[in-house]
Amino acid sequence: MDERRSDLKKIIMDTKTLPTLPGVINKLNSLSNDDKSSVQEMARIVSADQVLSARILRLANSPSYGFYRVSTISNAMILLGVNVVKSLALSSSIFEIMEKNSVGLWEHSLGAATAAGIIARKLALPEVEEITTAGLLHDIGKVIIGLKCAEQMPEIRRQIKLDDLYISEAEKAVLDTDHAEVGGWLSKSWFLPEKLSEPIAYHHNVAGSEDHRIKTSVVHLADVLIKASGFGDSGDSYVPPIQQVAWDALKLNELLLQEMVVELEDKLVEVKNFSLELANAAAV
Amino acid sequence: MLQQSRIALISSQAQLSSLLQLRLQSKGYQVMVVEKTAAALGTFYSDPPDLIIVDFSSPCVGCHDMLCMVRGDSFFSPIPIIGVFPTGMEQESWDDFPLDDFVTTPLNFTELVSRIVLSLSRIKRIFDNNPLTRLPGNTSIHRAIEESLGLPLAVCYVDINHFKPYNDVFGFSHGDEVIRMLARIMANAVRESGGGFCGHVGGDDFVFIVPRERAEQVCSTVISHFDQIVQTLFDEDTKQRGYYLALDRKGQKEQMPILGISIAIVPMDSPGISHAARVAEVAAELKKLAKGNKGSSFVVDRRSGMRE
Repeated sequence: MDERRSDLKKIIMDTKTLPTLPGVINKLNSLSNDDKSSVQEMARIVSADQVLSARILRLANSPSYGFYRVSTISNAMILLGVNVVKSLALSSSIFEIMEKNSVGLWEHSLGAATAAGIIARKLALPEVEEITTAGLLHDIGKVIIGLKCAEQMPEIRRQIKLDDLYISEAEKAVLDTDHAEVGGWLSKSWFLPEKLSEPIAYHHNVAGSEDHRIKTSVVHLADVLIKASGFGDSGDSYVPPIQQVAWDALKLNELLLQEMVVELEDKLVEVKNFSLELANAAAV
Repeated sequence: MLQQSRIALISSQAQLSSLLQLRLQSKGYQVMVVEKTAAALGTFYSDPPDLIIVDFSSPCVGCHDMLCMVRGDSFFSPIPIIGVFPTGMEQESWDDFPLDDFVTTPLNFTELVSRIVLSLSRIKRIFDNNPLTRLPGNTSIHRAIEESLGLPLAVCYVDINHFKPYNDVFGFSHGDEVIRMLARIMANAVRESGGGFCGHVGGDDFVFIVPRERAEQVCSTVISHFDQIVQTLFDEDTKQRGYYLALDRKGQKEQMPILGISIAIVPMDSPGISHAARVAEVAAELKKLAKGNKGSSFVVDRRSGMRE
């Protein structure tokens, strides 16, 4: 393995915390002061933040608890308890608040989660919540790269712009790896279940997934659809094509796709409102 | 090889913590230093230490709340906590202070090590908690039931339906996982409803005690959460079918339903309940009723003139 790549991998394996959006924290905090707040309501808010979700799943899957493979936020919250989740959220907020320019990526993640949920339901797939979670976390690698490779970021951005590259191509050129692979490493070192780590690692290369190709295909499609919708900011200005492997795995056709797009457009209005609500919570 | 005890050291003084770290390591302890109180809980939750030392000789913002959080969660509450105080600055009232022991500065290092050894051995000796779930065991359960006799409380007995065949088919490590999950679900539900007692009798048997008026609601929460979590333990085909195959005593294949739980609620202020042993008897009778239902359910003892 190339030196840069193995250095980066080592850094990622040592990564224990990631920054969270302040709005999500404030919202959670105000909720949990109210005794009646239910697990479901808290799960809804946590599920809006890819980073906090990743941390909670990491904790639920950590060997000290002895649970094997917790893959949804609501299950993690049931097992960890509201108090643990709350203090985890608060402990992350004080020192590591996400920068303003990450809001675009956060919206992209939230949008991809929404799209993944719509696709999964449309195709009547099992484990919709797992698929939604995978959609939410699919770009977690970008958060880490932004954090751990801050020095190389200007060069990555320059290449995207000047050489007309997709993010992952520019990342490969500069870092010798990309956010999908990095996200895969992180999810492995955090003991996240394969039904999450595979879609994260292969959302740009569906053919690479073996055991969870359907879920990976959904996340890939969700990523493409949300980029096409213009919701949020993934960092890419072009919409990538839908990979044939994914098209085949999901047995898609034009009509189905059209229905999904219409449903997604409606739903994104709601998501936008929710994201504004959280942005306002941050301002309080 | 003897497993090293792991000590978490919370201190904002780099000098003190690096000195302590060095000396404790020389005694064979593994030491993790936490500088910021806010980061401590995240660290503890993901990687629980065997003992915690908190430095109160320098400003420790949020330390008290953080220690209360650790104490409040049954999974972490057995961890001994030792405080470091400047001489003469010891607390006057220890009632609300979640510590097990303290030392004073200037530090007498030999004394600190003795207190660590004693704390760790004390926790082993008096530890009635179940090693799998870390919930209090039978001694504590018995005491808790005795103390609640005649009060407007409800003792709830929980067990898993058809647990043995699950253990046989999927292996004991998966069986243990189910037990740990139920313990967490129960402890969280009781805590989030406003508090109460939780204990692990052994195997798949649990007890929790909550105010009478909250009992049904807590039982519903435990049941709905367990039923949700249990779904993740079976593959799609099994869930669709609703059963898996196990061998019965005669070696015949038998259809076993997806795991569920039964809860017997025994109100402690009913006249029929006069002593602790009677509680378990009543619960055993109720359990038979609950087991008659398909899936998870709870049954309340209403025979002895319960007010509704």
